[in-house]
Order: sequence, then structure tokens, then C-alpha cells
Amino acid sequence: MTAIDWNRLATRARRGRRVRSALLLAFLTLVSLPVILPFFWVVVISVSARTGGVEAAVLWKACAVLVPCVLAYAGVHTFIASVRARIIAGLLLGGLCLIGLYVLIGADLHLNNYRFLVNPNLIEDIRGAATIGGQFPWVWEAFGNSLLVALTSMTLKVIVATLAGYYLSRFAFRGRSFFLQSLLLLEVFHPWMLTIPIFLVIFWVGLLNTLSGPILVLTVIDLPFYIFIMKGFFDAVPWDIEMSAMTDGATRRQAFRHVVLPQVRGGIIAISVLGFIKGWEEYVFVTALRTGNSYWVMSTYLYYVAEDVMGVDYGLVAAVSVFYMLPSLLLYLFLQKYLTQLTLGGVKG
Amino acid sequence: MARVDLQNVTKDWGTAVAVDDISLDLKDGEFVAVLGPSGCGKSTTLFMLAGIYAPSSGDIRFDGARVNDVEARDRNVGIVFQSYALYPNMTVLQNILFPLRFQKVPRTDAEREAREIARLVQIENLLDRRPGQLSGGQQQRVALARALVKKPNLLLLDEPLSNLDATLRLSMRAEIRRIQRELGVTTILVTHDQIEATTMADRIICMNAGRVEQIGTPTDLYRAPETTFVAAFIGSPPINLIDARLAGDTLEIGDKRLRATGAGTEHGGPVKLGLRPEHIREAATGLAATITASEPMGRETLYTADTPIGSLHFLEATSMPRLAPGAKLSLTFDGADSLVFDAATTRLMHGVCAHV
Ligand SMILES: Nc1ncnc2c1ncn2[C@@H]1O[C@H](COP(=O)(O)OP(=O)(O)OP(=O)(O)O)[C@@H](O)[C@H]1O
Ligand SMILES: [Mg+2]
Repeated sequence: MTAIDWNRLATRARRGRRVRSALLLAFLTLVSLPVILPFFWVVVISVSARTGGVEAAVLWKACAVLVPCVLAYAGVHTFIASVRARIIAGLLLGGLCLIGLYVLIGADLHLNNYRFLVNPNLIEDIRGAATIGGQFPWVWEAFGNSLLVALTSMTLKVIVATLAGYYLSRFAFRGRSFFLQSLLLLEVFHPWMLTIPIFLVIFWVGLLNTLSGPILVLTVIDLPFYIFIMKGFFDAVPWDIEMSAMTDGATRRQAFRHVVLPQVRGGIIAISVLGFIKGWEEYVFVTALRTGNSYWVMSTYLYYVAEDVMGVDYGLVAAVSVFYMLPSLLLYLFLQKYLTQLTLGGVKG
Repeated sequence: MARVDLQNVTKDWGTAVAVDDISLDLKDGEFVAVLGPSGCGKSTTLFMLAGIYAPSSGDIRFDGARVNDVEARDRNVGIVFQSYALYPNMTVLQNILFPLRFQKVPRTDAEREAREIARLVQIENLLDRRPGQLSGGQQQRVALARALVKKPNLLLLDEPLSNLDATLRLSMRAEIRRIQRELGVTTILVTHDQIEATTMADRIICMNAGRVEQIGTPTDLYRAPETTFVAAFIGSPPINLIDARLAGDTLEIGDKRLRATGAGTEHGGPVKLGLRPEHIREAATGLAATITASEPMGRETLYTADTPIGSLHFLEATSMPRLAPGAKLSLTFDGADSLVFDAATTRLMHGVCAHV
């Protein structure tokens, strides 16, 4: 029997692992490039463009610094095993990157495009008195309205979907399967197909030109899907835990609150994030359900900045875009753990 | 602390009948074990007592009062679920404290009681963990602590020891029995382990396919099993059941004839003869037998032998197998130890005995 060269085998396995992870990294980078680049460009424009034009040169210069740094870090990550060394290398590269950016494009950067945040009379300043009369609001008013729409519809959706999901998961009642099927059927119709009937209904109940209109509509059109998600999460909670709580002296409601609800926390957070982002981004119904400029939200604000008011000031448009997407992005980054649970159908790892 | 009556209780889900017309009568402070094969309705019976399921028909009474419509939370029943049903979002201590929360026990008293119970079931060093971080046996003991801490009127244990190792199981058996006596709480223990049932329980309920086959003391079930099912289920290694024909005062098994005595023999017809392996022994004369297999079982040896009345298992109290396959000997048994069942009804024919 020949002696086995364990060292050689181990070296080979280590090398294989590294190559695989390097390839994976390269692949993911390539795939995400078309997604990341436009975002990056918007950010670059928002902090560099001056009235009238867009300097593509700034983008290329920034890329010239960032791409080598990212590649170098990928190399470090692939070939250096020690975590401490990785962190040190990462910090060094980050520093280099900042210095490079400062030297190459530092002079081009400015925050002038973000003046809309502090100037309530932006449009009057640009266009003169043409828009006087409060037609075009300060951005914070739109921000507040968007927040109101997003938070209220999110809260309504979460409460209704949680209670309905629990009921559907736990109670057998006449017509339960019919109800579940019709919930699915509702998903077949795209809500935009229903814009006209919805407009009429909102008009008849007298909620046209109020924020309650879009809030209610947004809540209702997402509910079937969210109810389904929550039912899935409740289905995964063992039935006997609840029964145990009830023999321990809890009422059904107490058992729900103390024992069942904590188990579906992930689902509630996930639909909260989705619900918030949905309301935050909404454009179609907020425009369809107003007849004048009775209220402004962030999406309509961005639309008018881009289309109506000054068309060519890309710096301003980019700055508003960055400001607009920041809340969704932050939420998503911090709570993505819960969103990925959704695709696993609520099964906890 | 409670007398428990079940009168003609049935539970079905449409066509699936889980519990079929059972009647029980448990004395205050009694410890009964429920024995039966998987799916015979043991858990369903416990759930009806706990108030989790409502019976489809029949009455459940605690201390004579009908409780069918009393909510689970008002019955003060401690239950250890087959799946433990611990609350995953709470620590072990919080789990044990949970029932006390609804009994309005002051916080400091509750905590003292919880720790005391935890010490009793040997989990006092695990109180800060979550159920997910415990082994199966540890989870079982947490479930037991949680059921005991509320000083229940009725304690329902659904296979509470199935996940413990042999030594811990022995000490937990004794511990449960001691706690049960101390609290004087009426207890129902579901188990698959007949040793557990016979050592712990005052009475055993033997169930099969949703029906009660027999209720009695462990000795009753062993000495006088009412049906062949009970005879086969109680006793280890299992009883030998031999097809036979009763004709007057003889028992015909193939060509072999045994003498039959007792009232009712004149009836005649197909019967089953039950002989426990521990009641068959070697003798100078008797059934001519040839050993076909031997299995050492620790303290005893189990032999299989070919005899004129069929293949028989018998036990000998020797740790080393004494007889090799092929060995020839004569086997006998005492008529008083033999059991004769009516083959049609599977019921025991009291007083009928077979003699070699
Ligand atoms: N919710 C239900 N719907 C329909 N049938 C049920 C339901 N619960 C139990 N059953 C049926 O009732 C019968 C008895 O079930 P049960 O859980 O009481 O058995 P068990 O004696 O506890 O078995 P095991 O020893 O395996 O735990 C089984 O045949 C089971 O399939
Ligand atoms: Mg069971």
C-alpha cells in the first residue's frame, strides 16, 4: 500500500476552493454590474453635474479609481485566508480609493444639486414668479405625504393580513377553500386594469383628491398576496404549542399574542418592508386618484422635477432620485434577512 | 385531586373514528397507564380530557360535574404533549413560569416554585437556554416541569419518558411516581412501554382501535387478560397463542390431544390456547420438543422449540444458553397457568384450563 500524501491533497483542495470562490465572485460582479452601474451613475451625477450638462468624464474617472480597488480587494479576499489581514488590506484599499477619488474628481464635487432640501421656493427661484400660488411644494411636504401613505397602508396591510392569515390557517369554516381560491384569482387581475372602476368608487365615496384614496386602494390590492404569505407562516407554527398555552390558562387571544405571534415575526417584518416600499414607490394610483395638484408625494414630485419644471437640469433630477430611493434602500439593506425568508416559504433555518 | 369519569365518550372526524364509545372511572389520586398500539386513540383521549377536543358524544366528568363545555384553560389540567410543545421563543425558565402567569402567582413566589420544580426534574442548569438548544430528553423534562408547576387537578402525560436513556428513565419513573403521590394528583400516563405501565400504574387501560380492551391492575392484565389482544400485548416475550378446537374435555391441536377442564368446556368449537413463555418448563414427561433456536436475554434465555402443538417460545432462568439447537427434551406447563380464548369472540373463557 502506497503512502498517501495528505499535504498534497490538502493543498489541492485549498487551491480548488479558492479558484471556485474567485470564479463565483467574478460571475456575481459581472451580473450585478448592469444593476449597480446606473445607480452609481445617478449618485455621481447628483454630486457633480452643474446646471445644463452632465459630465460623463467624472464617471469614468471615478470608475478608474474604484474598479482597480474593487478588483484588488477581490484578489485579497481570494488569496489571503487570515481575516485580520483581509480587514487591514480592505482599510488600506479603501483609503487609497478615497485619496484617488479626491485627487481625480474632488474638484468636481459639490452639493448644489441638493439645494431642494433646504430651499422651499426652489421653483420660484428658478422660474421666477410663474409657479407662485403654492403649486409646487417644498420637497419635505411630498416626503411627509409619501411617508404617511407608505406607513398607513403598511400598517393596515400588516394588521389585516396577520389576522386573516391566522384565521385561514387555524379555523375550518364553510367556504374556506373557496375563499382561498378567490384570493388567488384576484392576483390574476393587474390592479391597473381596475383603475377606472377604482376611480369611480373612490369618487362616489368622496375620497377623491385625499390621501385616504391611494392609502385604501394600495392596502386592498396587495392584501390577497400578503394574506397568503402570512397564512404560510402561521401554517409553519405547530398547532400543539397553541393548545399547550390554552391548557396553561391562556385565552385564545393570549396564546396568539404570547406564543404564536413571536413565531411569525419574520413574516411580519418581511411584509412590512414590502408593504412600505410599495407605498413609498406608488405612482399610478396617487396620480389617478387626484384631479388637480391636491396633494404631492415623492413620486409625483420627482416626475414634475424631471418632466415639467426644468427638463434639462439632470443634476437636480439625479439628486431628487437619490433622496427618493434612500429610505427603500436602507430598509432593504437592513432587513433583507427577513425578505429572503419569504422565498423559503417561512421555513426557519 | 379530582375524580374523573368518561361515559360512552366517542370522538370522530366524519368517518374516521379515533375513540369509540369508551367509559372510564378514575379514582381521586389514582395513577393509570394507557397502553396500546400506535393510532389507537390514546392522544385523542387525553386531548378530550384536557379540553382541546370536544367529544363527539358522551360525557366527561370531573368530581361528578360535567365538564364537556368547560374551556381548556379553566380545567387546570397539566399536560405533557407527545411533541413536548415547548414555547420556542421563551427560555426554559419562562416556559415553566408561563402557566403561573395566568394563575396570578406573585413573581417571586412563581420563580421560587419554578426553580424548585426544575431541580426536581434535573434541569436547573438549563434555565436560561431556549428549547431549540436542548436535547430531546431535556425538552421532555422541561415539558414535565411546566405541567407540574401549576399543581394540576389532573396530570396527562403523553409518552413523557420515551426520549430518555435507560438510567434517567428509571429515576424519572420513580420521581414522577413520588411527585404524583406527594401532590395526590390524578394521573394518566400514555406509554408504549409495558414495563413502565406495570411498574408505575395502579391500573392499566389497554386500548385497541379506539376501544378499551380491558381495565385492571397490572396483575389482572397479566393473569387474566380478557382478550387475546391484551394477552398478546402484555407480557414480554409475548405469549404463545395456539389455534385449537375444544371438544368436551379434550383440546385438539392438530393430531395432539390435551385434556381440558372447567365449566364451559361442553360448548366446544374453535379456541386459542395461550401459554406464556415463562410458564413452560422442562419436565421428565410431557410434550416432546426439539430446540430450533436460542436467544440469550441477559438474565434469561429464550428458546424456540418444535412440539406436537406447534412452535413454542419458552424461557429458562439461565444466563448462558444450556441447550443447543437440535437438542431434544420434554416440555410441560401447569394447567392453572394456561389461558383459553374463544376464537370467535377472542374473549377469555374463564376457568377453562388445558393440561398436558
Ligand atoms: N385531527 C384529526 N383528524 C382526523 N383523524 C385524526 C385526527 N387526529 C387523530 N386522528 C386519527 O385518530 C386516530 C387516533 O389518533 P391518536 O393520535 O389518538 O393515536 P395515538 O394512540 O396517540 O397514537 P400514537 O401512539 O402513535 O401517538 C388515528 O387513527 C389518527 O389518524
Ligand atoms: Mg399519541
